[in-house]
Amino acid sequence: MADTSSETFTLVITGAPYSSQAPQTALGFARAATDAGHRIARIFLYGDGVHLASALSAPPSDETHWPKEWAGFLEHHGIPGIACIASALRRGLVNETEQKRYALPGSNLLHPFEIAGLGEWVEGRMMSTRTLYFHAGG
Amino acid sequence: MSTLIMIDQPPYGTWNGREALDMAFSLAAFDQSASLLFTGAGVIWLKRAQDAAGIAQKSVEKNLSAAPIFGIEAILADRSACQRYGLDEASLITGVTLVDANGALLDQYNHTAFAG
Amino acid sequence: MSSFNTLHILNKSPQHPRAAQCLALLSEGDALLLTENGVLLLCAGSLPAMGKVFALSPDVSARGIGNTIGDATLVEFGDMVALSLQAQRVISW
Repeated sequence: MADTSSETFTLVITGAPYSSQAPQTALGFARAATDAGHRIARIFLYGDGVHLASALSAPPSDETHWPKEWAGFLEHHGIPGIACIASALRRGLVNETEQKRYALPGSNLLHPFEIAGLGEWVEGRMMSTRTLYFHAGG
Repeated sequence: MSTLIMIDQPPYGTWNGREALDMAFSLAAFDQSASLLFTGAGVIWLKRAQDAAGIAQKSVEKNLSAAPIFGIEAILADRSACQRYGLDEASLITGVTLVDANGALLDQYNHTAFAG
Repeated sequence: MSSFNTLHILNKSPQHPRAAQCLALLSEGDALLLTENGVLLLCAGSLPAMGKVFALSPDVSARGIGNTIGDATLVEFGDMVALSLQAQRVISW
């Protein structure tokens, strides 16, 4: 089932790490896509998926640190990772700009994730051959 | 590039449907064709006379009635799900089209997505 | 290389309402890819008669159900990428 042409993907993750398998499945897909020579336009975190961009996750040392795994992958490939601003603010995920805007006691956005609006999702869809969603299972 | 956003979870108990609605509104804001399809327990979104003040939430009925103004093409509801949850035309908000959610319906859209 | 109308990616266990919805919407010419808890469909009775069925191998192995795959085809993540491109559209349930 080898595909030789290079295509572009946008991946949307809506399931949170440690309460769903979504970030792991998405990372397996993303690694396979880049290994096959495809391009990933962006990763968009939506709903509970924004928890993947938290710099404050501290799982036990014998468990995979999914936020760090994802951050490393994004940085290595120069892929933008964007957390939906509305989802993020509701769930307590903020960068320094939003911390100041809402006078919050801290910020917790993991580098290189960014915070932006749903327009990034719309644009990612338009520039991609396929947009895939990774929801929480159940 | 037409998109069908599917909502299969009822309002208030989870945020899933609200976030699905935001996706549809956002597509429409960027002039992308978007429709909503309510299936399963999601059809409760379309019930007339919702009053969510007692649970300190905003009624989703108002959000939905704004859908045509924001450029959402159609609000579709699965006929069999409406029957199952006791909804007839008189108990639905205005502007809902009853359809059979099947493969032929999905074939009319380039994209189909859930919010979660 | 085969191609499909719709690739349905199902990651919910068989008793999840969305699993029933997904299976009810499978059409001739579609393909079903079972991932995460979706692979439990392999040991929960009969696979859908319509369309080709794939199951993500690491999820099948993780759950120890490799002996019950029936007519399903085990695939790796690389195949999942290829399948998503071979289909006209992809629906993640």
